[in-house]
Amino acid sequence: MAETAAAARVGRVEFTGSRHELLGIIVGGYALMLPTLGLYRFWQATWKRRFYWQNTVIDGEPLEYTGTASQLLVGFLLALAFFLPIYIVLFVLSMQESGLVALGYLGIGAALWFLTGYGTYRARDFRLSRTLWRGIRFDMRGNAWAYALRRFLWSILMLPTAGLVYPWMASSLWKYRWRNTWYGDRQFAIAGNWRVFAGTYYATYLVNLFAIGATVGWIGSTHDVTMIGSLPVPGGLGLLACLGCTVLFGLSLAWYRARTASRMLSTVSLGDARLTVKIRTGALAGQFVVYVVGVVGLLVLIALALAIVGGAVYASALEGGKPPTADAMLSSFQSPSLNVVLLILAYLVVLGAFGLLAEVVLGFGWWRLLARSTTISDPDSLRTVKSAAEDRALIGQGLADALNVGAY
Amino acid sequence: MEFAARYQDGLVAEVRNVHCVIDLAADPVALVILDGATREVIDRWPESECYLLHSRMVELRIANRQKPAGARLAVNGIADTRAALRALPALVTSQGSERWRQVRILVPATAALACVLVAYLFGIPLAAGALVTFVPPAWETKIGDTAAAEIERQMTGGKGYVACDANPDSPANKAIAGFVDRVFDGLGSPFRPTVLVVRSDIPNAFALPGGRAFYLSSLIQASRTPDEFAGVLAHELGHVYHRHGMQTLIANSTTGLLVGFVLGDMTGLSAAAFVGSSLIQNRFSRQDEAEADRFAAETAKRLGFSTRGLADLLERVARDDSFSRAFALFSNHPLTDERRAALTALSAGSVETVPAFTDAAWQAIRDMCPPPPPPPLPRLSSAL
Repeated sequence: MAETAAAARVGRVEFTGSRHELLGIIVGGYALMLPTLGLYRFWQATWKRRFYWQNTVIDGEPLEYTGTASQLLVGFLLALAFFLPIYIVLFVLSMQESGLVALGYLGIGAALWFLTGYGTYRARDFRLSRTLWRGIRFDMRGNAWAYALRRFLWSILMLPTAGLVYPWMASSLWKYRWRNTWYGDRQFAIAGNWRVFAGTYYATYLVNLFAIGATVGWIGSTHDVTMIGSLPVPGGLGLLACLGCTVLFGLSLAWYRARTASRMLSTVSLGDARLTVKIRTGALAGQFVVYVVGVVGLLVLIALALAIVGGAVYASALEGGKPPTADAMLSSFQSPSLNVVLLILAYLVVLGAFGLLAEVVLGFGWWRLLARSTTISDPDSLRTVKSAAEDRALIGQGLADALNVGAY
Repeated sequence: MEFAARYQDGLVAEVRNVHCVIDLAADPVALVILDGATREVIDRWPESECYLLHSRMVELRIANRQKPAGARLAVNGIADTRAALRALPALVTSQGSERWRQVRILVPATAALACVLVAYLFGIPLAAGALVTFVPPAWETKIGDTAAAEIERQMTGGKGYVACDANPDSPANKAIAGFVDRVFDGLGSPFRPTVLVVRSDIPNAFALPGGRAFYLSSLIQASRTPDEFAGVLAHELGHVYHRHGMQTLIANSTTGLLVGFVLGDMTGLSAAAFVGSSLIQNRFSRQDEAEADRFAAETAKRLGFSTRGLADLLERVARDDSFSRAFALFSNHPLTDERRAALTALSAGSVETVPAFTDAAWQAIRDMCPPPPPPPLPRLSSAL
């Protein structure tokens, strides 16, 4: 009797973190980024991960992130070794004729694309092997090079098939990742295959193809186009149709992401424990809307700031009511080094604001949505999992950082 | 002193509710972990080896250096948290020392990075200057030929330069070649530069690796005296003599590496990486220009023509405006005012000068590329 009751129990996943706590971590990190010449980014990433991990409470017990900032720093230094040969090739290329240069850049692009696969796999390995739950570590086995090759070959196949082969690619990569994921001495399994992706993917593909094709065709047939420079800009109705296409794209993306993640993750199991994930499309689409509103708000703020600064410069250059010349306006900016500092500061503030928005709305939103949509059947079966040996690999995460593909 | 906690031994994925009691009689002092229900002893943790982990607000997570890496005690609730902190005073100090440890990593790392940056900015031009002497001149000439073909293609849209005077034995070309010989005689340079005067609307001149110099016809038209022409030519020959083209290639190849390291984007695709690289590369370029100016001034002194010509011509074709002053750090040439001041300082004490070219030679050079005749008036078309 007791055994059946235990088997029927379902574990919940909760998320207890708040947006303003994350905001504090990110803003504090930005503030320390300047005096540390950017090195603080490793500490900021570590704090962000601690925040996400320790607030994800699975069946009553939070995750714990055990990685440190110095590991990220050392990993990044090691990853530089991958870039030295690329820079040597770039140096040799800089002395060749243009045909060879184009070929060389293509080769470097392909090499970086291949390395990105390696980097993402090792980054996932790094994160999982530094994740504890109930005192037992996760891990990623398998071969990151094999994964990178698999991903590289599939993505080459994507080109001649115009993306139609994607469901097979996605399922192949998902399977490789999950079947090599371990919790202690227990291996994850995944039952999903290309069918999980196919319907949703092709529907999204066709709807967007049709909408964009129809819009372009319709604008072309009405000839309601004004040329701004060499860029054709459609008239009012055409612009409205383009906006409609963008909205449709966003909504279909939310639908695709919520549906495939839910269905694929629901086939993941760890021994007798099974995941069930039900992400609502509306919730994800809502995040997209908030993000777009935020971006528009930021753009308005930037425009306002520019107008205020421009107005102040204009007013200070104004002489006796005559409109000032461009020279007079620039006369307030005659210190070249101060100008560079001002430009860099303005750039960092703008970039930081957009990064902050994406992290706080989309990053946080997705994590919390995923956590709250997940349940685990028979979590008590996991009590018998034993710990496995330590994993101290550093390099993978560093490469992902260097390639700018590291998430969280 | 007793507190309730959740205990994981780090070996099996099981969470047990426990009571923790501090055993002051033991040596060393130990935290005794008792099963919540049966009160049997599960584990004993040496008190001095306990440390606090970072955790969410409502929780205290304690680990122990002598236990498996995943062994934890998790304490929730105000009363139990207070009791735990009272029982284990070492926890608070361990947290403070952890913060200091991070600062002790971050501060030297930042200092080291700052040193690398400074050493790079000042050392790379020197290192590139030393390295360039190991590049075989033949190799450099080949690179210059490739670059010349590429620039020609871009400038003329693939049509090829229109040389002002293709005959190398014409009086003008012989005068220029004679000037180059006089400048390079006795310098021990592996290069003997060739100067090609090319028809173009852009008032400019440039030198490429391996000793190819190009002089665009508009700049000849803008020159009023032979010394102005000679000054610019000597400046370009200075680039050839110091092998600046090759130095730039060497120096810039590593700039991306450095900027990528600071910004964390090794692919160099972000706008910040681009701006950072251009700031550094333009700084190196300005130093090269100043060095070429010095070469021009020294040459003028040596050959006895006036150094003022270069400054005068610059004043006419590249006068500073408030825009170039405001963004001077983004420019690959120093401000004309600065160049003029440096040239004036260099020419101090020069005696009476003679023009760099004879009147006849200068006239021949002026006539190499006469300005095109004004376009014919448009004919009225029949439609009007």
